[in-house]
Amino acid sequence: MTFADTVARARAANRALLSEVESKAALAAAGVRVTATELARSREEVAALAEAMGFPVALKVVSADVPHKSDVGGVRLGLAGRADVLAAHDAIMAAVGAARPDAVVEGVAVQEMAAPGVEVIVGVTADPQFGPVMMFGLGGIMVEVMGDVAFRLAPLGAGDARDMIDEIRGRPALDGARGRPPADLDALADVLERVSAFAAAHPEVRELDLNPVIASPDGAVAADARIVLAEG
Amino acid sequence: MGVPGHPLDRMFNPRTVAVVGDKGPNYMWLRNNQPFRERGGNLYSVQIDEKEIAGIEELGVPNYPSVAAIPDAVDYAVVAVPRHVAPHVLRDLIAAKAGGAAFFTSGFAETGEELGIELQERLTVMARESGFNVVGPNCMGLYLPKVGVRFHPEVPVAGDGRTGFLSQSGTHGIMFSLVMGAHGLRLSRCASFGNAIALDIPDYLDYLTRDPETDVIAMYAEGVRDGPRFARALREATARKPVVVWKGGQTEAGARATMSHTASLAAPHAVWRGIMRQCGAIPTDGLDETVDVVKTLLDAKPATGKRFALMAMTGGQSVSMTDAFAREGFEVGPLAERSSDELASFFNTVGGSFRNPLDMAGTVQGKVEVLERILAILEADETVDAMAMEQSAMFGARQWKEHPERLDALLDALAAHAERSAKPFLMVMHPAHEEAYVAELRLRFAERRIPLFPSFERAAAAARALPHAIRA
Repeated sequence: MTFADTVARARAANRALLSEVESKAALAAAGVRVTATELARSREEVAALAEAMGFPVALKVVSADVPHKSDVGGVRLGLAGRADVLAAHDAIMAAVGAARPDAVVEGVAVQEMAAPGVEVIVGVTADPQFGPVMMFGLGGIMVEVMGDVAFRLAPLGAGDARDMIDEIRGRPALDGARGRPPADLDALADVLERVSAFAAAHPEVRELDLNPVIASPDGAVAADARIVLAEG
Repeated sequence: MGVPGHPLDRMFNPRTVAVVGDKGPNYMWLRNNQPFRERGGNLYSVQIDEKEIAGIEELGVPNYPSVAAIPDAVDYAVVAVPRHVAPHVLRDLIAAKAGGAAFFTSGFAETGEELGIELQERLTVMARESGFNVVGPNCMGLYLPKVGVRFHPEVPVAGDGRTGFLSQSGTHGIMFSLVMGAHGLRLSRCASFGNAIALDIPDYLDYLTRDPETDVIAMYAEGVRDGPRFARALREATARKPVVVWKGGQTEAGARATMSHTASLAAPHAVWRGIMRQCGAIPTDGLDETVDVVKTLLDAKPATGKRFALMAMTGGQSVSMTDAFAREGFEVGPLAERSSDELASFFNTVGGSFRNPLDMAGTVQGKVEVLERILAILEADETVDAMAMEQSAMFGARQWKEHPERLDALLDALAAHAERSAKPFLMVMHPAHEEAYVAELRLRFAERRIPLFPSFERAAAAARALPHAIRA
């Protein structure tokens, strides 16, 4: 399915928020590495997909009515075997059912776990005057609480992505703080450039969040993605 | 000069200026523009109010009942009529094929009132359909120091300005022009453009980018209507000359204020900073910082690195100076061994130091040749990218008043060093108890092209612009 098809389908359903699976498919098509994600519609399918993918995996609830999955207990990470996966599936269903009894749950996404690394956030917001603006910051509280974030207009020009990465105060974290190996900055810059090109080419995207992108010596992989469409 | 063939060239280089609707007893616009007439420009008035005509003619300005009646082609007009008359005047100016017009008239969209918004929309449509150069409305218009077109009676008339200034605010346009003058710096051209219904920042910026009389561009902006177009114009400008952008409305409360001031929306501060960096512009936060940065760009040599040699007269000053420069991210480290050895051979280390920062009053003791020797050693030191020297009025003022020749000798030595040296040289003189005296001195430093700052903090903040400095 092309991104245009995804947009058309979402608009037909009167839906501005694309699912994680839809968002990741669009970004993967734009050349961004994303963690493999497959939708399971039953308890048995969850276990089968996890075994096919290889452990560890993560499970996330899939529902248009639950935009902030972790807030309602809809996310379980680092599941190491079949028994863990089944137990996590049941726990997610119970937690979401309790928090959002009216939510229509499409199923559960089974995801590969990214290699350990530094969590960063790559985002796009539509500025009313400037159009798509790229955002980059470290994950966790650094963006929201500390405001440690760099902005540029999309599309990024030569050197802009590295300049964004170098601008944040938390930059040393990417060099391998606390004995960690340094992150692959070229791969991270590549993610920023590809996302910026995607945003510039798709004015119908109002917001885009890759949160987190895991930056490690092996590259940069988006572990979650969220696209919000502008009003059609 | 100017930019032949550019759509704004006629209004930026006028030979005929019309003032429409000026009124007594002050006749503000006719008086502001007397220097234009004195320099041979054709200054005309348009006024139909019989009571006003005698006062206008007393000023030596011919008055006409309409724009159409003016015998010469109007290159630039200042319109100061009531708002409901503005569309009629604009229609006449369009019919007369004038080069452009600034509407001092206010009371449009910035009021938020239905009538104001509707009148602004009418002007906008007329300007768009005719392609007419409307400056404003709700603005002070153009200030062209060389030809004597002015928006205030005290801004200088001078032909040697090299800085172009654009301002969404009339007050900031006037203040910048006056404060630059008080620092011995002139403007090449200035536009205060208020609500910017037709010509907007990118249009003016394009002109200043191509203008051979403008070497540095600065602007005060509150909001931007067409962001991508603004960013494109800014990139084109910064590829050719330094551009300083002073942003108003950076806080949430400030952003609300810009809405009622010029009816423009403001991007959040952090987004704006990112865009400025991406476009190669130098962002500033206020009037003084903007003047300081422009001064640095014009009169300092460009820096190739962040290592400063700091020359202070006393120990306390050397510490404060180092703090100020280090806080802005500059390095104040040890000098090369050869420099230290040379300085050690003559430095008075009792109550002084030749380690960077230098504490040197006891060594220099007012002797210019000793100062020149120190400057030459730092100039030759490959670990030094830039220099700043401190001399406060606390010590200087009394002896310079008693012995003016000592000040002359100091200025000569510093000017010769600044001219010869490949490295930037900044001077810091805290006025201490001698504000008025130092205000005069400032002009003498400006004449000699020695960038002078009243505090370490202001010098260090301005030094961030050194990589963009243009002095050859």
